Amino acid sequence: MELGCTGKILVVDLTTGRIRPQAVENAVYENFLSGLGLGAWYLYHNIAPHADPLGPENVLGFVAGVLTGSGSLFAGRWLVVGKSPLTGCWGEANAGGAFAPAIKQCGFDAIFFSGISPRPVYLFADGNRAELRDAADLWGLDAGAAEARLAEMHTGRKRPRIACIGPAGERQSLIAGVVHDGGRLAARAGLGAVMGAKRLKAVVLAGSQRIKVYDRPGVVRLSRELSATVQNQPPFVSGKVAAYLGRLVRALPAQMETDGLLYKMILRKWGTVGMNQMSIEMGDAPVQNWRGTHHDFDLDTSAALAPDVFTRPVVAKYFCYSCPLGCGALVEGAPGTPPAHRPEYETAMALGPLCLNADAESIFRMNEMLNQAGMDSISAGATIAFAMECYEHGLITRDDTDGLELTWGNSTAMVTLIDKMIRREGIGDLLADGSRVAARRIGAGSERFAVHAGGQELPMHDSRFDPGFALHYAVEPAPGRHTVGSLLYYEMFQLWRQIEGLPDPSRFYLKRSKYDTDVEKARMAAACSQFVNLINAAGLCLFGAFLGVHRLPVFQWLDAVSGQPRPPADYLRIGANIQTARQAFNFRQGVDPLAIQVSDRALGRPPQSRGANKGRSVAVEKLVGEYFQQFGWDRRTGQPRKSILEKIGL
Amino acid sequence: MAYTITDLCIGCGMCKLVCPVVAIEGQPRKDHRILAARCIDCGACGRICPQAAVKDPSGRVCQRIRLRRRWPKPRISEAACIGCTVCVQSCPTSCLGLTAPGGSRESVRKAVLVSPKACIGCGFCAADCPVGAIEMINPEPF
Repeated sequence: MELGCTGKILVVDLTTGRIRPQAVENAVYENFLSGLGLGAWYLYHNIAPHADPLGPENVLGFVAGVLTGSGSLFAGRWLVVGKSPLTGCWGEANAGGAFAPAIKQCGFDAIFFSGISPRPVYLFADGNRAELRDAADLWGLDAGAAEARLAEMHTGRKRPRIACIGPAGERQSLIAGVVHDGGRLAARAGLGAVMGAKRLKAVVLAGSQRIKVYDRPGVVRLSRELSATVQNQPPFVSGKVAAYLGRLVRALPAQMETDGLLYKMILRKWGTVGMNQMSIEMGDAPVQNWRGTHHDFDLDTSAALAPDVFTRPVVAKYFCYSCPLGCGALVEGAPGTPPAHRPEYETAMALGPLCLNADAESIFRMNEMLNQAGMDSISAGATIAFAMECYEHGLITRDDTDGLELTWGNSTAMVTLIDKMIRREGIGDLLADGSRVAARRIGAGSERFAVHAGGQELPMHDSRFDPGFALHYAVEPAPGRHTVGSLLYYEMFQLWRQIEGLPDPSRFYLKRSKYDTDVEKARMAAACSQFVNLINAAGLCLFGAFLGVHRLPVFQWLDAVSGQPRPPADYLRIGANIQTARQAFNFRQGVDPLAIQVSDRALGRPPQSRGANKGRSVAVEKLVGEYFQQFGWDRRTGQPRKSILEKIGL
Repeated sequence: MAYTITDLCIGCGMCKLVCPVVAIEGQPRKDHRILAARCIDCGACGRICPQAAVKDPSGRVCQRIRLRRRWPKPRISEAACIGCTVCVQSCPTSCLGLTAPGGSRESVRKAVLVSPKACIGCGFCAADCPVGAIEMINPEPF
């Protein structure tokens, strides 16, 4: 058993109701570490080929990382894993809050659910026992109401931590996620629908078991040093300056390598919404369903969604477990309701400029609706933008929309539409499964308006601005995700400082070099994939990783926890193993990686004729084979070689 | 590791009542025993036992602290606390919480002992704090 881990998983068969703890062999931890790696290993072995994601053969996992509870910082992340009903591929959704340590405090590194329960149930576990309990009275409740009811029911010495689905997951919306901590989500890949299909309403954890590490004082020494760096905050960071900085970045033909400490300063002051205006100006945030530019949502318009607008109602910062930064925030709720979580950048942009909506109040409202219903705000916004473009072209009409005028920027219609999507009512039923499914149902050429990769609606990071995103959107086993890698992320991770042989980018470079398809781009992307897999095996936060490995002592923490120091390259090798496991999972499920396409619009096909990304297009296909080769997979097909699979026990 | 109960036990049941994880079983006036797999080494049973019948994992007999208000309690440095909530999560009796929201985006809710009577003096909060902001103190020294 790896120190820092519990050495056990909990296996729950929802069909029979059988629950049993299971020990995990050392070899698994050695090859895959814990967290995401443990999830990849387990799902590879335990989901039958060609499984129906909404059927009993799918396995839904809740996994915690090795550094959670060890004395490290930024170590409060956990993941939901399973076969995605939205993409048919490897599915994972990452979240923070307070749930990650609760998994390990019950004595498990992960909890896996197979089968389908005959009746709605929830799992209750503490350090001593685990039971399935009747959830009939909880089914139908909003996530927050369900959490509150469960907290009332479980008033033992230990306050329970809860993850649950809302009505969107219960209705198996393919863009539903898993809710926790009063309205935060493990949102992507439609894993909330898997939980709903299994009739699993909630996971309630109230354990107090201790995490053993080899050298806790050593871990804490590293954490104290890092904490000082994070707390240090210059007073001059201003909202208007950030917005105009975006204009500057757009105007210049060259840019500087980015230091993640800058992003940390923005996060500490405003959270992720600190980027709202800047991203539009730079060309990072897509506008009007990826068709528009900053000309369509200029600074005067985006001022309505400025960072300060989103921080005015804040009553306190919100910190995930063991986080020194606190990028989250609680905002005043409606009178008589508890504070809610502030909308994040992705939410604000997907429901904002993507739909040409400048009504901030509507964004707050829709964010809370989606959080309580348990629906992914990126996919919801992207699907609405798709519907707006269809409406514009007459592919859907007022008859289809039950009278709603789905015109660009019509925030009142958007709020009503979100409600319909949650209820699966009328046109809401058409849109509740995301834009690809909606396009298939509408037909008439509407597919060209659905911007996704393999069915996963693309996030608010324009791959025409940072082509690194395009490659990850296309080749990651969970496609269409912005939380793995890009040229920007590679710069911020600064991996070349501690791992020999990795590309060391110029401090200052011409923008057009971003669009070259040299093999270095593939090597950087592969390094990002490996590193972020390691981050997710450790339970660390991507925002901590953005500080760079020279500040975030991830390798040193791992050494101190295990007592077995390894060179950083060895840890990256574990990241590579995890990537291979997830890719092999896809092949086992019958996925052809080359069939996963990134929508033309996101690749600049055709290129835009104005705006920050004018003339830009991304030749992502040129890099795919190179990327596969970095992992030792077949260059043409992306299939992991048998010899590699055998070596890591798959 | 686990604490153990010796045959000095008189079955008063105080340990069973104070144990935060239901790791002690026994009938009134009969010998009690600790379920080793459940024990989290908090030491509360040792502090409460009137018969010196509890041994810690290294075999030392635990010293009773008769008055609960003299059990060790956490002292949290407001200056050093970064609001990371680790201690709140570590506490087996949920006696730690966060200060009320300050009403602005600068407000950092820091750790505070909200239920001192629920505290069992285990010291997990101090042990787990990633920045060393908590020390266990004896509130009323002899």
